[in-house]
Amino acid sequence: MKLSTSLGKQAGSTLSEMMIGLSLSAVIAVAAITTSVGLQKSFNAVDNYFATHMQQIRIIDYLSRDVKRGLAVTTSTDLQSVTVSVPNYLIQPGDAEAVADPSRIGTPRTPTVSYTTSGPQVNYSANASTVVYQVNGMSIVRVENGQVTTIAASTDQLVPLTTDVELANTEYTNSSVTFRPIFTSTDQRSGTTICSTAYLRNKRRG
Amino acid sequence: MRRRLPGAAEQGNVLLCVICTIGIVSVIGGNVLLNCTTRFNAASSQVRAWKESLYAAESGGDIAYAEVRKTISNPTQAFSGWNYTSGVYSSPQLTFGANNLRTSSKADVFYVDGNGNPWYRVRSQGTAPVRGLKRVTMDDRMSVGVRGDSLLRKIDFNYDHFAATYGPNGDNQNKAVLAVNSPQLTRRIELVASPVTPFEAAVKAKTAFSGPGSAGLIDSYNSKNGAYQFVANNPSHPHYSDSRSGGVMVNSADFNMNQGPIYGSVTTNGGNVKPSNLIKGTIDNNVPFTLPPFSLPSNLPLPQTSPTTVSSTTTITPPTPGTANNPTYYVLSALTGTLTIAKSGTAETYVAIRVRNDITGKITVNNGVHAVVYFEGDISVKARDIDNPSNLAANLQFYGITPTDGSSQAINIAPPGNFAAAFYAPGADFRVNGNPDIIGAIVCKTYYGNGNTSLHYDRALNDIGEAVDYRISSYVEDTR
Repeated sequence: MKLSTSLGKQAGSTLSEMMIGLSLSAVIAVAAITTSVGLQKSFNAVDNYFATHMQQIRIIDYLSRDVKRGLAVTTSTDLQSVTVSVPNYLIQPGDAEAVADPSRIGTPRTPTVSYTTSGPQVNYSANASTVVYQVNGMSIVRVENGQVTTIAASTDQLVPLTTDVELANTEYTNSSVTFRPIFTSTDQRSGTTICSTAYLRNKRRG
Repeated sequence: MRRRLPGAAEQGNVLLCVICTIGIVSVIGGNVLLNCTTRFNAASSQVRAWKESLYAAESGGDIAYAEVRKTISNPTQAFSGWNYTSGVYSSPQLTFGANNLRTSSKADVFYVDGNGNPWYRVRSQGTAPVRGLKRVTMDDRMSVGVRGDSLLRKIDFNYDHFAATYGPNGDNQNKAVLAVNSPQLTRRIELVASPVTPFEAAVKAKTAFSGPGSAGLIDSYNSKNGAYQFVANNPSHPHYSDSRSGGVMVNSADFNMNQGPIYGSVTTNGGNVKPSNLIKGTIDNNVPFTLPPFSLPSNLPLPQTSPTTVSSTTTITPPTPGTANNPTYYVLSALTGTLTIAKSGTAETYVAIRVRNDITGKITVNNGVHAVVYFEGDISVKARDIDNPSNLAANLQFYGITPTDGSSQAINIAPPGNFAAAFYAPGADFRVNGNPDIIGAIVCKTYYGNGNTSLHYDRALNDIGEAVDYRISSYVEDTR
């Protein structure tokens, strides 16, 4: 009986197969690493995009809330700064009501009515609160009576723009916020815009 | 028997590696999707709840506003089903919408003006459920110690933060830690419903306006500053600011200029009025308003026994001067003769007259008399037959009781003569021909004024009269 010589053939084959195997393994490893890195980048991109999108919504929601309750709105010439005058609804420390009764600090005021040349007017306080929205470096800040609150901060360069439209019997603002996704090579903002229109409820028609 | 070659086993190892690699990559990919989806769902749900809670609060405000309006249009049904305690009306809680939004409102009178009209404050809150995980989403993402969403959207995950911090009514009283059944978000607004007085513009027409004629005009003045004089083209005049409030409001697109200037603003509801050198104020073609039917006030005193009709020359001298809220009241079946209303003694005298048919006669209101005429039929007179020597339109007010069958009333004024009076007739077609010079204000269904007809709106009228409706004049959100 003739003995098989396959062992010798297997040794030769093992070298070539090992080379092929190593090559395949290397290709697979590179593919896996590349895919992992790509997925990680995608995750970061999606996560960052979504986080920035949430900040867009937050800016718009803040602004809309203040515009709706606002008495007057003005925007800067570059449209990136908005000043809203809102009723001074809550009693603040130092107000006459607070001095008379400190327990009333933080509670709502009872409105009063005064008569002006343009008709009766509802007042909550002699002085309204002033709220300012502005860009501060990479952040968007809201300043109410000097108190600064950062409402959005992103390296994606959030840009808010607001126009104020005042008509005879009403007033509204159109706002948009864009950002530049950090994982794009160009300044592609067009697909990131969210818009909002908010009417000043205190300047109603009819 | 066939032997398996050793090389075949090595191929199996490579396959295993490939499968493992695919598995690892799939796990990473799945993790990406899971993270993004979870955060997206939580964040979008919270944003949605925040917006919907305001919708709910404003819905509650609208419900309360509708009840306030009923105090005029349907007083017996106003605040029906609401709880009334210590001067405050409280609505039952209402659940509505596909997302089970909840709202409730409170309304109270916080001020009564000089005309006896109450001003209502409405506090409404709206609650929306927050679905998804009990977690804040993008909070604290901006930097260390800087909160984001939770500063704006105050979600009650386990407890009602408002009741715990400020008390259930927000007045720092009765603070309590109250558990919530499921995560929710509540927003609160405060509205002020102010009375709408009858005469807030020179002309307020429901369906159509045509005028003034080529030789006429519409302007304004304030009788508190003295007699009318035309100063609308004289900016240096001290009363110039009162001269350009002769506004025209039309609740339709039907607005026709007839070559006469309007020293005031023009508003239409869907019209196409364009800037013109004849309109000296602003133009807004998107201003709807409501002009509810007018019905006889329910708080009038018992009528005097005589006269019951005026078909010849008749003088009324009330037994007592009365007051604006309690005038001397007469009911006439007809007014076809000449009626003179005299003062009661030397005091300012207040008179209310109900005319159950057409008015075709003459009415004279002596100085010191304040007359209100409620008419159920038509008016067809010459301008000189509306005789108000004080030239104060507030002293002679006509109110047209809107026909319940949907038909129109007619008010036809013909030359010659001038007059001072105010008309509130939302169901009437008001037509003035020729050259009457009118001081006052006109509220009607349709307005037509041709020829030399001029109308001088008295701004003092804006502060008089019983409320004919309510409007929301203030809106505040409690952001705590």
